[in-house]
Amino acid sequence: MSLIIAAFGFGLVSMSIIAIAAVGFTMQFGITNMINLAYGQVMISSAYAAYALNNTGVNIWVALIVGAIFGAVFSFVLNRLVYAPFQRKGTNLIGMVIISLAVSLLVANLLLPIVGYYSVSYHVDPGPTFHAGSIALTGLQLAIIALAVALMLVIHALLKLTRLGKAMRATAANPTLARNCGIPTSRVIDLAWLITGALCGVAGTVAGMNSDSFAVSNGSEFLIPIIAAAVLGGAGNPYGAMIGAVIIGVMTELSAAVISPQYKQVIAFAVLVLVMILRPQGLLAKRGALAAAG
Amino acid sequence: MQAGGHRLGRRVGLLPLLALGLAACGGGSATGSGSGNNSPLLIGIVAPFTGPDAALGPAYFAACLPAARAINSAGGIMGHTVSCQQFDTRGEPADAVPAAQQMVASHSNLMAVVGCTSDEASSVAPIIDHAHIPMFCMTGQSEFNKTSFTYFHRLVPPDAFDSYALVGSALDYFHYKNVALVFGNDIGSQAFVGPAMNALQHLGATVTINQSIALGQPSYRTEVTAMLATHPDVIFTEALGPTDATYLAEVKQLNGSTLPFMGTSATIDPVWFKAVTGAIGVQDVLNKFTAVDLGVSFSGPGYTEFKTNLDASAAQFADAPKYAERGATLHLYDGIMQAALAMDETQSIDPTVYNPKIKDVGNGVSGATTVNTYKDGVTAIGSGKSVVWVGAGGPTHYDQYNNSQQGYIIVKYDSTGNEVTISKLTEQQTAAIIAAGGG
Repeated sequence: MSLIIAAFGFGLVSMSIIAIAAVGFTMQFGITNMINLAYGQVMISSAYAAYALNNTGVNIWVALIVGAIFGAVFSFVLNRLVYAPFQRKGTNLIGMVIISLAVSLLVANLLLPIVGYYSVSYHVDPGPTFHAGSIALTGLQLAIIALAVALMLVIHALLKLTRLGKAMRATAANPTLARNCGIPTSRVIDLAWLITGALCGVAGTVAGMNSDSFAVSNGSEFLIPIIAAAVLGGAGNPYGAMIGAVIIGVMTELSAAVISPQYKQVIAFAVLVLVMILRPQGLLAKRGALAAAG
Repeated sequence: MQAGGHRLGRRVGLLPLLALGLAACGGGSATGSGSGNNSPLLIGIVAPFTGPDAALGPAYFAACLPAARAINSAGGIMGHTVSCQQFDTRGEPADAVPAAQQMVASHSNLMAVVGCTSDEASSVAPIIDHAHIPMFCMTGQSEFNKTSFTYFHRLVPPDAFDSYALVGSALDYFHYKNVALVFGNDIGSQAFVGPAMNALQHLGATVTINQSIALGQPSYRTEVTAMLATHPDVIFTEALGPTDATYLAEVKQLNGSTLPFMGTSATIDPVWFKAVTGAIGVQDVLNKFTAVDLGVSFSGPGYTEFKTNLDASAAQFADAPKYAERGATLHLYDGIMQAALAMDETQSIDPTVYNPKIKDVGNGVSGATTVNTYKDGVTAIGSGKSVVWVGAGGPTHYDQYNNSQQGYIIVKYDSTGNEVTISKLTEQQTAAIIAAGGG
């Protein structure tokens, strides 16, 4: 039983990282109608950008900001140079998915000669370990959980309390109508790529901080639980992604404790398949934050 | 709002399949060239260059470069120059098969293939054998112990023997009794688990836990907590990529200190060293880590020739010199040299003609002249002699299935990542453990 409780504690950390990433992924999908399979590669690229700075002696939390900026700029450029031109030509959703898959492979293979196939580690102090029963978390892990909670609150405030959030919701619901109503949808979409890219960069960097070691190959591994969480919660719905992250994060750790470590990702997808059978639209699809502004 | 939600919701069913598709995708690269009079010959390195086992391919590429350099500086094989080309399998059979098919279809000038690790050997060996290309594989899978593939060669023992050596050194040299097995869930790493469990149980040791861990996960804290609860004396491991580094860093964090850990020969690798020292620190690796490696002396004229050409190969591949003490690199270099000398002895670039001669060059025939460099081999053959190759990895002992093996050494790292031999398991000792383990 103590192992299960400990696994639940570690699941809170996994869930926090997945939540940051999945909210960015699902917002990208919801607002720009783009299933970006290169998301994991942008995450790992951002993690390496932060590493480049951290390795020169810069504090990891400063490097995290650089990772976020890198993720934002990379995502923005990716959309402007690759995705947007294809979307303007009317490429359908499947075509765009294939393009993002190609971009993912391109980024991974371009990254390899730049950063090498070596695994790297951040210079980061995990801090003291705090115990609560069988749960033992370091100061760093608690900071990651706190960061995830803070970012979720910021996203909530952005979507519910700001004009930009309202514009994003309108663009997500019906971009043509939004444009006819005077909403500058192109600018909204640019900002959406910057914001979701920043979330992607933060997620990649905190994943690297939590894992002690990462390599280019982690990029594709990141994507699987992120998609599972996003779809589970209801694709395009940030709150759904948060709930999906909680379920996927905790379930994967509990499955490692109860079933077998090698089936972690299998369990994530088994949960996803089960939910898709029972509720194909996901847990929260009909009550999404990206619903039309009221 | 609702409309948007429905529009998106109907499309989400594609996502899981697409994610799986992404994980399965891979590829290779090749350029065509035909063979003719003195046309260049090609050595294909069929191995993972991307994916979780991406560290393996460069070690094999580093074997080919000094071999090609030595051959070309001696005038080539009957005037044919030699070059090396990578064919990326991503460590996945699904990607390895098209890569191998593309290689044999696009290149009529292949003289040998090296690499073919446990990740892909089962799927690519039939293709390469069917194309009549001699191959030197770094697979440890037992299915090749008595293979029917006549073009298959293996200069390393099966993984089972690596496991037995690991068990032997843990029990006899370090006197550990309680062992945790922590291996990646890939085909190559899992090949060690069964033999290790058998040997440990037959020799009176306890397997406290057997963990098969998914590679490339961001955290293994739950797995580490479960492992620590079993209180092992030592961890046996092979989990490549960043996996061992992450796992061992979490052992250190959750246990308060690093437990002793022992690796297979695959952990004697500069990529693994850098990853793990980056995660737990150099001192912990120096003090707590040991491994078994193939019994190579890293000395002698054959090794010197290899080392000289390997260092010179840094112009083509900057990391090449780092593989100077990687057993696999040495053995694959030897395999290429044996193939080249077999071609010289038979005066043929037709694999169906020179393939049977490779075993003779490796084992030697009666009255054969021992050679340690390609140039000396060509000279001896030119004067009408048969040759036996004793190269970087020492002598070869092919059996009837073209499998060759030697004894094992127990090793550790120095602070710069070089291998340091601390003891030796003779072939007799290894054989005794194999027998006790039911191998």
